Amino acid sequence: MGFNVLLDIIGSVIIGGMLLLILFRLSDSATENAFNYTGELTSQQNLSTVVQILEHDFRKIGYCADWQKIPDPTKSILEADSNKIKFISDLLPDGHPDGNIDTVTYYLGPASELASTPNPNDRLLYRVINGISDGGVNLGVTEFKLIYFDALGDTIPFPIAVPGAITSMEINIAVENTSGYDNKYSSVFWRQIRLAARNLKNR
Amino acid sequence: MTGKASLLLILGFSVIFLVFGRNFASLSTRGVDNMINYYDETVAHDIAVSGANMAANEFFLNNNWNAGFPTTSYNGGTFKVTFSVIDAFNDVYKIKSEGNYNNITSDVEITLKPSSFSKFAYFSMSEGGNIYWTGNDTVWGPFHTQDHLRASYHPTFMGKASSFKSILYLHNEAADKPNFNGGYASGVDLPLPTDGVSKLEASAAAGGFVFSKTDYTKDKTVYLTFAGDSIKYKFSASGPETTVLGSTMAPNGVIFAPDATLRIKGTVKGKYSIGASGNMANQGSIILDGDIVYNSNPMTNPNSTDMLGIVAENDVVIANNSENNKSINIFASIYCENGGFNAEDYDSRPVSGNINLYGGIIHKTRGAVGTFDTKSGNILHGFAKKYKYDDRFLLASPPSFPGTGMFEIVSWYE
Repeated sequence: MGFNVLLDIIGSVIIGGMLLLILFRLSDSATENAFNYTGELTSQQNLSTVVQILEHDFRKIGYCADWQKIPDPTKSILEADSNKIKFISDLLPDGHPDGNIDTVTYYLGPASELASTPNPNDRLLYRVINGISDGGVNLGVTEFKLIYFDALGDTIPFPIAVPGAITSMEINIAVENTSGYDNKYSSVFWRQIRLAARNLKNR
Repeated sequence: MTGKASLLLILGFSVIFLVFGRNFASLSTRGVDNMINYYDETVAHDIAVSGANMAANEFFLNNNWNAGFPTTSYNGGTFKVTFSVIDAFNDVYKIKSEGNYNNITSDVEITLKPSSFSKFAYFSMSEGGNIYWTGNDTVWGPFHTQDHLRASYHPTFMGKASSFKSILYLHNEAADKPNFNGGYASGVDLPLPTDGVSKLEASAAAGGFVFSKTDYTKDKTVYLTFAGDSIKYKFSASGPETTVLGSTMAPNGVIFAPDATLRIKGTVKGKYSIGASGNMANQGSIILDGDIVYNSNPMTNPNSTDMLGIVAENDVVIANNSENNKSINIFASIYCENGGFNAEDYDSRPVSGNINLYGGIIHKTRGAVGTFDTKSGNILHGFAKKYKYDDRFLLASPPSFPGTGMFEIVSWYE
């Protein structure tokens, strides 16, 4: 009897242990999947938000409700770099035009600004209107890369001395989850191959 | 006992899997929803843009078109286009296109105004055969030629450039590609009108001043001097001069000399267009006897309201005289319907300094203003060109200055 009981106990412990291991693994897996799925959704939503704001603003490069205030829209881009652009438009912080010219700047901040977040790659994408920033909302942007093209469709090399030569641009945005399970961050990417702000071609 | 435990275990795991599965499915669904929402917004926007483009096309083909489009099915959605008048006096119109796709709407609004030739810094129907824009040339302001745009060693075009024919490179694209700092469009068909001068004459007759041909039957020449508020004119070099107040002489600012040569100089105060017509020799040309400048210099005073249009049926010519041989200052937009802007005796006159032009040149054929040593680039005869565009012409025109007969988009909201 003693030996059989001992075998039963050992067998139960082994089976129970295996079940526990499976349960732990299941739990871990479920947590990881939940984290990743949620992270991907969040990243995708963040990307969608960023892209909608970018498209809203970039399509209005050179636009003013009082069109006589920008007589030559081809000169609407003031500065252009690989991760920074400054242009004139007619945007209030709420996005609606009021007939006055505004200076809009987009640029990507350094990764060190968000050193406190688990993701070492995320940065703040700044949207500055008339020198006033919207404030810091970390949407997990890890890449904001701009490529500019001239009137004949050729890439303009950096540094760009004459921003007026820009007639279209390529926008690349990558967004990652701000915190990932086991340091694995879900990533989503968006590219506008040729964004041609219509007002740049007016007149 | 073991069977029950196993059953409970399986049921428990099943419940857990179901809950996790449902959550994962929900996340995936929301992810797809997110993508679909962005797609719907993009399609709605594209539909609105399409509606605006179709309406603009209708309007460009027929400037009287103002019907808009009723709600129209397009690409799985609908668009509706309305047409409205913003400024009836200046013919400024707005086209609004509303795109709808899956109950998401997107608006596009475009503003159009009549286009005048005065907006060009440079315009030509013909580039004079084989004349190239070179690396020494910078054109400030809008540029258009109906000819080929001939380029050598990277000429620079600061405003929007366009041509009807293609770009021709003297060597190859790498060596000659122009710097288009305001964009470029090819295939743009914008010929000079044949009635620009006659319309100016009609405008002069309606509220300006038209010289009587009987006053200059002998020399067929009118001498016109702007003197601030006043305008002086005479009909021969040594004849008596009449002085009148400009605003009294031509209330609408248009002065015209039919079948005559118009010789001008002076200081312009106010907005004027002057024109000359005629098909006989020495008729229909305007000759610059000296500086023609503004009373208030717009280069130093951007609020200057002085503006001049020089509209000739044939040529606008810089006279070969002592006054002009020490450089000439020209503040005006120059229009030559059948001729070109050139200098008298350009290949035999002395080195004459600079043509300091602040305005624009719109002519049928590119003319010569001097000759230069092809090796050193030094001027041998005539003038060096110092042309600067008057930015005010982007928004305003001299009175009744010839229009393109078309409209241009001045604002695009989306």
